[in-house]
Amino acid sequence: MSIRTLLGLVAILVIGGALSLVLSDYSLRLMNLAVVSAVAVIGLNFAFGYSGLISLGHSAFAGLSAYCVAILTTKLGLSPWVAMPVAIIATALSAALIGYPLLRLKGHYLALATLGFNVSFTIVAINWLDLTGGTNGIAGIPHLSVAGYELSDERSFLWFALISLTLVAAAAAAIHRSRHGRAMIAVRDDEIAAAMAGIDVTGVKVAAFTLAGTCAAIAGCLFATHIRFVAPEDFNYAHSITYLAMLIVGGEGSIAGAIIGAVVLTFLPEWLRVLGDAYLLFFGLMMLVILVILPTGIVGLVRRISLKRRSPGDETTNVPARAGAHS
Amino acid sequence: MLTCNDLTVAYGDIVALHGVNITVKAGETVALIGANGAGKTTLLQTISGLNKVKSGDIVFESSSLATIPSERRVRLGIAHAPEGRRIFPGLTVEENLSLATAPWRRWSQSIADDLGRVFDLFPRLKERRRQLGWSLSGGEQQMLAIGRALMARPRILLLDEPSLGLAPRLAEEVYERVKLIGEAGMTILVVEQNTVLALAVANRGYVLETGRVVLEGAAKDLKQNSRVREAYLGR
Repeated sequence: MSIRTLLGLVAILVIGGALSLVLSDYSLRLMNLAVVSAVAVIGLNFAFGYSGLISLGHSAFAGLSAYCVAILTTKLGLSPWVAMPVAIIATALSAALIGYPLLRLKGHYLALATLGFNVSFTIVAINWLDLTGGTNGIAGIPHLSVAGYELSDERSFLWFALISLTLVAAAAAAIHRSRHGRAMIAVRDDEIAAAMAGIDVTGVKVAAFTLAGTCAAIAGCLFATHIRFVAPEDFNYAHSITYLAMLIVGGEGSIAGAIIGAVVLTFLPEWLRVLGDAYLLFFGLMMLVILVILPTGIVGLVRRISLKRRSPGDETTNVPARAGAHS
Repeated sequence: MLTCNDLTVAYGDIVALHGVNITVKAGETVALIGANGAGKTTLLQTISGLNKVKSGDIVFESSSLATIPSERRVRLGIAHAPEGRRIFPGLTVEENLSLATAPWRRWSQSIADDLGRVFDLFPRLKERRRQLGWSLSGGEQQMLAIGRALMARPRILLLDEPSLGLAPRLAEEVYERVKLIGEAGMTILVVEQNTVLALAVANRGYVLETGRVVLEGAAKDLKQNSRVREAYLGR
């Protein structure tokens, strides 16, 4: 693990931990939501950022896992610690199963197919009354407890969520640096050249999609044990689009970007509450500006500024290219 | 080592190769020359499994490639430096190189040795090993594409227009390296529009016109052939 990665991981714990001591309960709740989103967006980064697979169904995987936890704990009375691994494994398997046929599609076809998957998920969750409780959702998911201590307040749950985020980010960084991470980027950059270099393109895509689903599943577990209530609208396609927006605002292809994007887009609506309904207009314009002026997101901007300071006019420095053609 | 038997390839209704017969023997460098649209690139892509064969067969070391997908063909020893280089812009030079072996061979001393060999052949790549692919010049990208193909420890190297888009001096530099690789014992099938360069490094050659082999022979004979001289050498 590189020093930069290590510093980043420590920064998550230190900044998050410090904030947890000073913020109000309401802000802590938002922090928790941001951290849960960050875990999901790190997952989306495997599919979209590294492998170039656009997914508008990411929220459905979080939902699948959250519902698993809800059903296993409330209907079967299992401990969340048993339910969560089961939910994560089940969701990862379904991501692989769904990915295998869907990933033959490319670009906007894949976007539409994954969107369709998300919509179907919501419809099933609304209509399978016996299992999911329909639009009423499932309430009464038990608190997580660690060594006899119940994580029942926002502050203690945030510590648990921060540790989870750190572990997910560390795993993601390790995969990024491994041959598997390089294979994903190669598939994103040029599928034909990747096949010519001996890479199993379909295998890499399914693996990336499954990893994305796994992270979404972890986020779903955190969501279920934090809010302790799941309902279909918590996992509709609008959330999938928000995840994608978080990744683009933060900087696709970057783990730091995924986290920053999740935090910014969770808090922005609160900071700009004065705008009222005009927030959506502002949000739309902001996305446009980011796509046109900052295609590599906030992380790309920071990197560009620091490079300019270090070596003005040096063309050979490593500014990452915009993630090529996503077609 | 590699034989194409009566190979026919079509894109929909358009037939790109009509019953092509080509043989490459171990250790030789074979040039495939011809104008734009003659089917040269199609032939190389079919050998590496990117195009479907309509009829005929490709035999590599006495076994048919018909059912083998392209990524497996690389592992069997058919490495392809594609037309237009197609290096990975978002990966560094070193990552581009190690990628070509790493998916099926774990990082080990042997890969470091392979990297060293490529860097010996192309010292410029060593200087730029930490740079991202897109920031390389055209010549460096071509060297990287050839280096990447070599990293797979091929038994045969397929080169598609290594001179494409390069200044004449750079194209010659690339071909000097191709010659060195061939002299070290590598079997090479090179597709090229720049007939002078290709015939200078090749032992034998085939001339392809609208999907058919119209001429074949030793490189030195092809250089003297009146048809080749008129059509491709401009003399």
